[in-house]
Amino acid sequence: MSTPSPLASARRSTELGLVVMAGAITAAAYTVASLGKNAEIPPIILPFLGVTLGLLVIASIATRILARGADPTLLPLAALLHGIGYVMITRLDDRLAGLQTTWTFIAIAAYVGVLFVVQRTTDLAHQTWTFFAIGATLLLLPLVPGIGRSFGGARIWVSIGPINFQPGEFAKICLALFFAGYLAERRELIAANTWRIGFLRLPEPRHLLPILLAWAFSVVVMVGLKDLGASLLFFALFVVMLWVATERTSFLVIGTILFAGAAYIAWRVFDNVQTRVAIWLDPWPQYEGKGYQIVQAMFALSNGGIEGTGLGLGSPNKIPEVKNDFIFAAVGEELGLFGATAVLIAFVLIIGAGFRIAIRAERPFEKILATGLTTIIGLQAFIIIGGVIRVVPLTGITLPFVSYGGSSLLANYILLALLMRISDSSARRLGEVPDDLTIGERYEARQAARQARREAKRAARDGRTGRVDVTR
Amino acid sequence: MNTRIRRLAIGMLVCYFALFVQLNILQVGREEELTADPRNDRQTIRDFNRPRGEIFSADGVVLAYSEPVLDANAELEYRRVYPTGSLFGNITGYSTFNFGSTQIERTQSDVLTGTTSAQQIKALGDLFSGGDVSGSVVLNLRADAQEVARDALKDPATGLEREGTVVVIEPSTGDVIAMYSSPTFDPNQVVVPDSREAADVFDFLNAYPGKPLLANAYQERYMPGSSFKVITTGIALENAIVSNERVWPSEREWTPPQTTDPIQNYGGTSCGGTLVEVFFRSCNIPFAQMAVELGPERMVAGTQAWGIGERIPIDLPGSVASSFGEVDDFIDRLPLLAIGGFGQGSDVMVPIHMAMVAATIANGGRMMAPHVVDVTRYHDGTVLERTDPDVWKTPISPATAATLNSLMVGVVNQGTGRSMQLANGIQAAAKTGTAQLNNTGEPERSHAWIIGFAPAAAPRYAIAVMLKGTNDEISASTGGRLAGPIAKQVLDYLFATDAAAAAPSITPPAAPPAAPPETVATP
Repeated sequence: MSTPSPLASARRSTELGLVVMAGAITAAAYTVASLGKNAEIPPIILPFLGVTLGLLVIASIATRILARGADPTLLPLAALLHGIGYVMITRLDDRLAGLQTTWTFIAIAAYVGVLFVVQRTTDLAHQTWTFFAIGATLLLLPLVPGIGRSFGGARIWVSIGPINFQPGEFAKICLALFFAGYLAERRELIAANTWRIGFLRLPEPRHLLPILLAWAFSVVVMVGLKDLGASLLFFALFVVMLWVATERTSFLVIGTILFAGAAYIAWRVFDNVQTRVAIWLDPWPQYEGKGYQIVQAMFALSNGGIEGTGLGLGSPNKIPEVKNDFIFAAVGEELGLFGATAVLIAFVLIIGAGFRIAIRAERPFEKILATGLTTIIGLQAFIIIGGVIRVVPLTGITLPFVSYGGSSLLANYILLALLMRISDSSARRLGEVPDDLTIGERYEARQAARQARREAKRAARDGRTGRVDVTR
Repeated sequence: MNTRIRRLAIGMLVCYFALFVQLNILQVGREEELTADPRNDRQTIRDFNRPRGEIFSADGVVLAYSEPVLDANAELEYRRVYPTGSLFGNITGYSTFNFGSTQIERTQSDVLTGTTSAQQIKALGDLFSGGDVSGSVVLNLRADAQEVARDALKDPATGLEREGTVVVIEPSTGDVIAMYSSPTFDPNQVVVPDSREAADVFDFLNAYPGKPLLANAYQERYMPGSSFKVITTGIALENAIVSNERVWPSEREWTPPQTTDPIQNYGGTSCGGTLVEVFFRSCNIPFAQMAVELGPERMVAGTQAWGIGERIPIDLPGSVASSFGEVDDFIDRLPLLAIGGFGQGSDVMVPIHMAMVAATIANGGRMMAPHVVDVTRYHDGTVLERTDPDVWKTPISPATAATLNSLMVGVVNQGTGRSMQLANGIQAAAKTGTAQLNNTGEPERSHAWIIGFAPAAAPRYAIAVMLKGTNDEISASTGGRLAGPIAKQVLDYLFATDAAAAAPSITPPAAPPAAPPETVATP
């Protein structure tokens, strides 16, 4: 059906090899964790290995069919992080293993689904305001009485029937799509800086206003939800995308000033912000209280040392919420500096691959979107890892692909699929792989051809003759 | 836009580098500081969640093993079990999560958990053969000997254990064959998972008279009474101020220098004769005179040569030192030195030290460091480390040792130690002691001692028995009457089992197991 392409085959074969390695590492880690914890080889190791490899191979095959020119490293890196996270979660709490498995199936299905539905990036570029609407709705959802739920002080959950999810995880993708679409369209206008206030040269308010509103909206909602980590992520995402799109450093400066101001106000107004900063600077005086979690994380990391205690042999469960926000401390404890560094490197490689995709892309929309999506993953991982190891104040947010949680996993695989789509799009445009019709386009072409044939027949019946070109 | 994206990428890289640096600080730079923090119990948990190996007696009895806790929600995965209860309480000690560990459980913790570097290196080699790298410890102590020691301490009339200590040592190696002291405790009671319950048990044990948590045998000191005369005589012989030819006049009392208060013999009797006679009669005055003749310097130097003033070099934690006194204590107080010469006054001796004193004479003048641990083993049973005998002190020459040997034989054959005449004609050598604890005019209170070894010609076992002066009967008796039969009972048993093992019989002698059994007996 599709034109053969040696380069695409090579990329997909590399990817397949790497995902099989990631799956093997996961299965090995799973066995070691079980040996460490229960001193037995898990009885389900063979089915486990089969399912893990099966899922990864399915994802890889789907990529081969749907985005064969895409970057070959993203999926294996995500699979590796996901595998490490899965092993840690099952090791921390057996009961969560089943749920996380279900979410793994759903996430892989979503990855394939997004690749299938979104076959051209242009499909997304035309939906700017739809994404804004969806993103805004998702953000506001937890505030709706009856379905919104608070856990641990943040009202970021939505419960509909038996399903609980964090809409914020999906909102960030929608907002990135919105920013990308909006900025791609108007970046030159925004960058024009025709509006002067004193020595400041600003874009015309009418170009800047909607995006400022969007940002203010998300920030206000986040502060309303008391989800500081997500708030920080949105803010930075907005500034970074604006800066890259307009190439105006003034936006970075203004953004930083705005951020400093917002941070100061938040610090003055919110008690929990003050507490978090105090704990960040010195957690020891509050060991019995709010500093307990972070001190335990430090104990965990020191307990791990260079080589780690070994999977199943540490005491990561002493850290409250270790399976969510603090999972990195568990990795550091049981896999040591080696394992923690491997996770850092995996994120750096994902970021590298993401930005490479952004640079290779030519359409502004793809460029800005790839930058935004990569920033989301890179920044989110930095915020939570930095929070756990006290590089920045702690703000609760999940570690992409690693933390427990269906919403996070699902959202990150969707994000991954979008990056893959952009990457594939560039490969087609650069001629690295043939720009064959997508499945949707082939379907449309067939419809058109059938239509044309029908018309030709009718024309023939009508006594006229004509040739119908069935190829596009 | 590409320039901006590249700058963004560089910015991200800087952020991640910061994470990497901080990770190094926490996991490497501050590791020791964080691990040492008292609030950090991860190291303890780690040790507790490892399988912990067994402790075996020399005759292959399991003294301690770890049992997996089947409750999945339990914080700790293993529970320590001590099948012999209180019999080895003061030897194995206990290993608790909240209250630390003692004795073998403490000193051999690395071996038991498999964390010595040798075990770790070996574990790397057989990484896939199984996760359990715990080692085991085999003691020199025999469970049967320990049991006989406990039985012997029981009051023959009431069947109740009397407070006291029995220590049996192999003179040539310093191997501790038995070391039981009463009161003791059952470590099973303190390793209960409920920490409040354990705390209650500790409170009870700490408040209990007689300090059951302390091993009397090497963590406590008692006045030695006449058993100390062995040391005094040894010092006198080494300094050549006495010989077998010297004769002491029969005297009822003698007034040392610097006082008008005379020294009397036990029971105020008249006592004297040759060295052999004054030794087996346990006269006090000749030994007081020896100490004064030697003078503070030589006497203190002599006791130091016997290891007095130094902690007992036993391979168990928390051992204490016997004490005689300093030169300055005696220069102006010669009467104190005089009574010190026969084990009164400021003398205090650790019971195992007295066993080592007897063993020194049995071993031709060389005092071996006492060893509880025979061998440690890897998980597969191969030898990790074997304890080699080592000489701690050489306080006397072989000639002096021979002289003392014959003096002590006299005690058993003709003197105060006749109660230690062993079965089957085995010749024992001994010295009794009755340490008067009361001052003049107070009710009688004394510890009863006997130290000795057998067979005198080729000693196999050295023994010290001490009964604390806790009741009237003990206080009114002499070491010969009360401690002697205990020593006899223990030594008779040991020689009987040796004879049974040596005699050709249908069943071969039970050798200590080459490897610890895979399964352990339930208590």
